[in-house]
Amino acid sequence: MKISLWWKSAMAGCAALLLANSAWADGTLRYATVGEPPSLDQHVVTSDLATTIAHHMFEGLYTFNGANAPVGLLAAGEKLEDDGKTIIISLRKGVTFHNGQEMTAEDVLASLNRWGEHGSRGGLLYANVTSIEASGDHEITIKLKAPFGPWKNLLAFINGGPAIYPASVAAAAGKEPIAPEDYIGTGPYKFNEWKANRHVELVRHDGYASLEAAPDGYAGARTAHFDKIRFIPVPDVGTRVSGLKAGDYDYAESIPGDLFADLDADPNVKTILNGGPIFGLIFMNSKEGPLKENFALRRAIQAALDKVPALQVSIGPEKLWRANGSFLPEGNVWYSDAGADNFSRGDTDGAKEMAAKAGYQGEPIKFMVSTNYAFHYDQAVVFTKQLAQAGFNIDLQVYDWATLIKKRAQPDQWDLFFTHHGFVPDPILISVMNDNYPGWWATAEKAGLKAKFTGTADEAERQKIWSQIQTAIYEQVPTMKTGDVYTYNIASPKLSGLASSTLIWPHFWNVDN
Amino acid sequence: MLAYAIKRIFVLIPTLLAASLLVFVFIHLIPGDPAAVLLGDTATPEEVAQLTREMGLDRPLYTQFFLWLGNFLQGDLGTSIFFQEPVLSVIADGAETSILLAVMTMFWIVIFGVPIGVVSATRHGTWIDQLSSGGAMFAASIPTFWLGLYLILIFSVTLGWLPSSGFPSLSDEGGLTNLRYLLLPSLTLAAPNAALIIRLVRASMLDVQREDHVRTARAKGLHPLRVAYAHVFRNALIAVAAAFGFTFAALVSEAVVTETVFSLPGVGRLVVQSILRRDYPVIQGVILVIVILYMVTNLLVDLAYAWLDPRVSLK
Repeated sequence: MKISLWWKSAMAGCAALLLANSAWADGTLRYATVGEPPSLDQHVVTSDLATTIAHHMFEGLYTFNGANAPVGLLAAGEKLEDDGKTIIISLRKGVTFHNGQEMTAEDVLASLNRWGEHGSRGGLLYANVTSIEASGDHEITIKLKAPFGPWKNLLAFINGGPAIYPASVAAAAGKEPIAPEDYIGTGPYKFNEWKANRHVELVRHDGYASLEAAPDGYAGARTAHFDKIRFIPVPDVGTRVSGLKAGDYDYAESIPGDLFADLDADPNVKTILNGGPIFGLIFMNSKEGPLKENFALRRAIQAALDKVPALQVSIGPEKLWRANGSFLPEGNVWYSDAGADNFSRGDTDGAKEMAAKAGYQGEPIKFMVSTNYAFHYDQAVVFTKQLAQAGFNIDLQVYDWATLIKKRAQPDQWDLFFTHHGFVPDPILISVMNDNYPGWWATAEKAGLKAKFTGTADEAERQKIWSQIQTAIYEQVPTMKTGDVYTYNIASPKLSGLASSTLIWPHFWNVDN
Repeated sequence: MLAYAIKRIFVLIPTLLAASLLVFVFIHLIPGDPAAVLLGDTATPEEVAQLTREMGLDRPLYTQFFLWLGNFLQGDLGTSIFFQEPVLSVIADGAETSILLAVMTMFWIVIFGVPIGVVSATRHGTWIDQLSSGGAMFAASIPTFWLGLYLILIFSVTLGWLPSSGFPSLSDEGGLTNLRYLLLPSLTLAAPNAALIIRLVRASMLDVQREDHVRTARAKGLHPLRVAYAHVFRNALIAVAAAFGFTFAALVSEAVVTETVFSLPGVGRLVVQSILRRDYPVIQGVILVIVILYMVTNLLVDLAYAWLDPRVSLK
């Protein structure tokens, strides 16, 4: 009798445990991430994962619409004076921070100044700023040394960009990343908690002042339907997929290409392409070694590569990649085929001949790649073989990512290294445009074109100059693009309001279950 | 026994110092820079150098070690470079998961491993013995990541009975029912370890069964169950006790694969991720905690020997 009672109790306990499964999923969107972001402070961090979380909390003056054009978010409008050297931005009224305080020009001024001084991308704009001041309670005036074309794109790009924080938060943080307890923004969700290795949780900001225009990309009205969004680190991709199928997650990111066909055909899973492709880049060392200033040898290496087999091997389904030589994708205002006929020649014999003419005599070429990103390594292996067939002596050095980024800062350690780049709305943000980025491309031709590119606000003129810069990249080969990769995420079909592709980072305002 | 325990605790101190020095030297020998990892791809070398200076990582290694040691002696393991939280609190958070997982796994090991091992030994040579030995070999051979993924596929995806991954703290919403998150991981982790215990219990009992005192007990006409329990099992347990101790320590520190497959926020995953991020204070802290765990387990196993076998003297 006693045993029977014990047994019944045990069975009841087990039943309670099983029934408790998914008992509190309602009202919470559970997003399985690949890992944990370093910080959510958008001024200083450029991690895509950080932005995926943070852009629900923090907003900038501008954002991007569905066509990737910058439009007002916290800014109500702007006017340019003095040939574009003075920018007067009027701010929306009645916008409140998560702490209930109204946003004013003082907050915007403090945030922009912190971003300009300590932010990842702020220096690009602030190098051209002569003064910035609050010219009214809801107006700021930026004065530039010369017209600066990318200003609006830079203010709209929230990743490493000028999120608007309360002045007190910006001032207190200085150059340090903002502490989680001070994550105060104006977005439709506000910070609730960050449990290391467990989750980052946001909750709905009931006092959110939404725009009224129809949603368009990141622009327009934002409505928070979920009570909470929980970002849960799930490093194993198999677990992310099975967790979504089991109903433990509503959304899971970064799923490998080899699962795409099955998941795309599965009615219990919705696949969502990332609209802004990432692209692989192989940087060449302009400071030291056999490739320094030997543009002919660089062009020989470029001529040897056929990008299609590398994309097929590393990514898989054709829907997920494009052998596109333009640095920005087709359909984008910055799309250009200038110089792109050299993108993927795969001309082994021609490359051998070019290398011989460039004085190459079989010196070892150190090629660094990391295994942290599978597609880096897979593509590097294909390219190493192609280069060997063209007579190049490639010393493939495989490291973890932390080691690679340490070594690439040392010019005597490498000749080529593999990395990738996220989608950016303005070519000025592509790393090869930064003279200090490892590779250190800083020729006179680049400097002249870059000055012209940033020195005009005329979009048509800027697009023309960008084509010239792209041609110079294919001529001097500071880096080789390896093709566009459209990563994809998966979602529960119960979620409504999700488009079939994201603009850049997924967002969950206007999404419901 | 108390004097012995105190003496052993004092021996821990030089061992800990030696371990901390070794760990410190080895983790700083790995190339890679936490500042560069933290600042991301767009950081300039000047920004990386500045952050390195601010974190004190540009100082000579011995200065960094003595600073760390000074803080450690005051109970401060430093601040995580990545999480910007005290290392102790980061470890404590992971320790909850790891300890609960280890306890639950030990529960399965005891529930399955010991009885099956006993039955296998008492039915030595029969089909029951062959079945249990074969089953143990099979369980020991299955890779844990494979078993984990299949358990998820069956119990989470197909049947929908149990959550596939994650573990909310017991202090979170759900309370004790959150233990259901650990059912599949603990079973996954228990499979190879229970197999080991089955083999060990069986072998130890077979050894003891051949001893004179067992033959004498049987000759006295004692009931076979009493012989098996009081004369064979208790004596066989001495060898098994050591295995239990080290299995527990290993379950806390080496469950990396299981923690990754089930996305559990335990110390195994924490140390691997911290190595990738070059989060030196966390690596140092976790490894020291694991060293302490092994040393304490060792001590407890020795004390358990004396308790189980009065012939063992602790000097």
